[in-house]
Amino acid sequence: MPKPLTVAVLAGTALLVRRAMRRRIRTSPLWPMPALEEPVSGRPRSRALRVLVASREEVAEGVVRLRLEGRDLPGWEPGAHLDLVLPSGLVRQYSLCGDPEDGSSYTVAIRLVADGRGGSREVHEQVREGMELEVRGPRNRFPLVAAPSYVFVAGGIGITPVLPMLRALGEGVEWRLLYCGRDRASMPFLEEVEKLGGDRVSVVEGVPDLDGLLADVPEGAAVYCCGPEGLMAAVAERFPHVQLERFTPRASTGGAFEVELRRSGRTLTVPADSTVLAAVRAELPDTAYSCEQGFCGTCQQRVLEGEVEHRDELLTDAERADSMLICVSRARSDRLVLDM
Amino acid sequence: MSNTQDRIPLKARKVSFSWDDTPLHWVPGDPFTTHTINVLHLLLPAGERWFVHVYKQVLPYIRDERLREDVIGFIGQEAMHSQAHDEVLPHLREQGLDPTPYTAQVDWLFEKLLGDRTLPPGRARRWWLMERVAIIAAIEHYTAFLGDWVLGAEELDRRGADPTMLDLLRWHGAEEVEHRSVAFDLFMHVDGDYRRRVRTWATAFAALVFLWQRGARFFMENDPTLVDGRATFKDFYVRGRRGTLPATGDMLRSIPRYLSRTYHPSQEGSTAQAVAYLAASPAALAAEKGAA
Repeated sequence: MPKPLTVAVLAGTALLVRRAMRRRIRTSPLWPMPALEEPVSGRPRSRALRVLVASREEVAEGVVRLRLEGRDLPGWEPGAHLDLVLPSGLVRQYSLCGDPEDGSSYTVAIRLVADGRGGSREVHEQVREGMELEVRGPRNRFPLVAAPSYVFVAGGIGITPVLPMLRALGEGVEWRLLYCGRDRASMPFLEEVEKLGGDRVSVVEGVPDLDGLLADVPEGAAVYCCGPEGLMAAVAERFPHVQLERFTPRASTGGAFEVELRRSGRTLTVPADSTVLAAVRAELPDTAYSCEQGFCGTCQQRVLEGEVEHRDELLTDAERADSMLICVSRARSDRLVLDM
Repeated sequence: MSNTQDRIPLKARKVSFSWDDTPLHWVPGDPFTTHTINVLHLLLPAGERWFVHVYKQVLPYIRDERLREDVIGFIGQEAMHSQAHDEVLPHLREQGLDPTPYTAQVDWLFEKLLGDRTLPPGRARRWWLMERVAIIAAIEHYTAFLGDWVLGAEELDRRGADPTMLDLLRWHGAEEVEHRSVAFDLFMHVDGDYRRRVRTWATAFAALVFLWQRGARFFMENDPTLVDGRATFKDFYVRGRRGTLPATGDMLRSIPRYLSRTYHPSQEGSTAQAVAYLAASPAALAAEKGAA
């Protein structure tokens, strides 16, 4: 039998605790759990957006410009690109070349590559005004950094990511552009670029003489290049720090490449017709994965070295900077090093 | 142990929902029901991400090929559930109901309190992993219960609830029913200790009740359209009778079932109802089409 005093003390304490709790909870309904300083949930991902093809016009030989209208489109920075989901389900990346501030439409320009992988052909042959498309993004892997001066080298359709950069730089900033193409008729946005830059723009038809044209690049200038593989290789040879934007995967992609698993100390080869995941599972059978289509995110792994060609639909830019989904993504370089 | 009749290969479905046309009170005129169900969007993004995180670590302990396949399918489905509910949160914020103060705490709970602790490899680490596997099995008992409930909650349709939100809940609910045995089978396979089952059930149940009531209160008090928003147990009980929320009695009756030594999730809910919904769900059909 408990003593009456004990009972009274316990009851009194319980009442006090209850009152204190009530008051605490009323002033802050979320007392007393701690919170994560940088919350993970509810961060907007690049979600799928529905857009309407509001206009489709040929702006140069073999180049169509699409204006895609939508509601509350996320903003973007010059250099960003968009994932376009074509009617057949193909996903292709195209640089944005409109106004970054415009929340109601995106503009992309697409050149027909007759012997390409089929994306541009589908756009040219099947995408019409009034059609609904799905887009994802925008993402930016070709950002405009702060620099005392800028040099841009664009080849043909490679002008698209550069154009918003030129507009953003405005007066006051020192820049120049070398814009080359097969001939003037096939070079999109030529008029606008010449109007923007005046004598800061050199237009070259045919193969440019890079040594001559880029002879006096100022010290510390940021060099940007987007264009055919040959042009980018030539520029990269002269300027090792050049920022490159590839609009077609490097020729070796799709082929075999090597993957080193640093923690387990193994190196394996991923054949052209297989995935990183399959090769890794052969060595480490307990590797986690699930959907095998690049949307669930289970197989995400940290990348230590090498350049990744991301083929998933999930990771954000920040995540792509140091990780990949090994079920679908491949190497852009000949070798990848994973932290596993 | 597992029920062979009910066995269907589990696969993640790549769904997506557009929230543009969903109103703040998506059960018209009933903010309490809306927000009580909305608590799911607060708990599930972090919670199901945590399931995936834990199950990735348990894969090496599985010695049964079929169970391993099920767990792999389960992981993908849970990852998609987490993503799908996560996408509702920005929509709530756009409508003036910022969930971040609450979700930041749920994130802490799952990422820190229930996250990987610095433990010596071996027994301690295994103990913590098994404890979490058992907690997941207990939570899955309730997700299957809720999934089965929402699939049959016709009262929500009658009251004109938003079709997109209902599709999210029922697609999710149907997958929960579809994979309801996996978490329990996995727990029985890797550990199965009855005392652990009871202990973790008590923890999970108490935590769910605590988090749920406070989530409902959080939403009601912060809803910009309500002057004096309150959430009480009576509100919950009344709606349970009406059929817009699970009935209190049904919830209480499900407790002894989980604690019974003969419990198996295949005795709960109906796979047929779940499969039938997945065959008709707009989101699941769109995912099917996208995968083809």
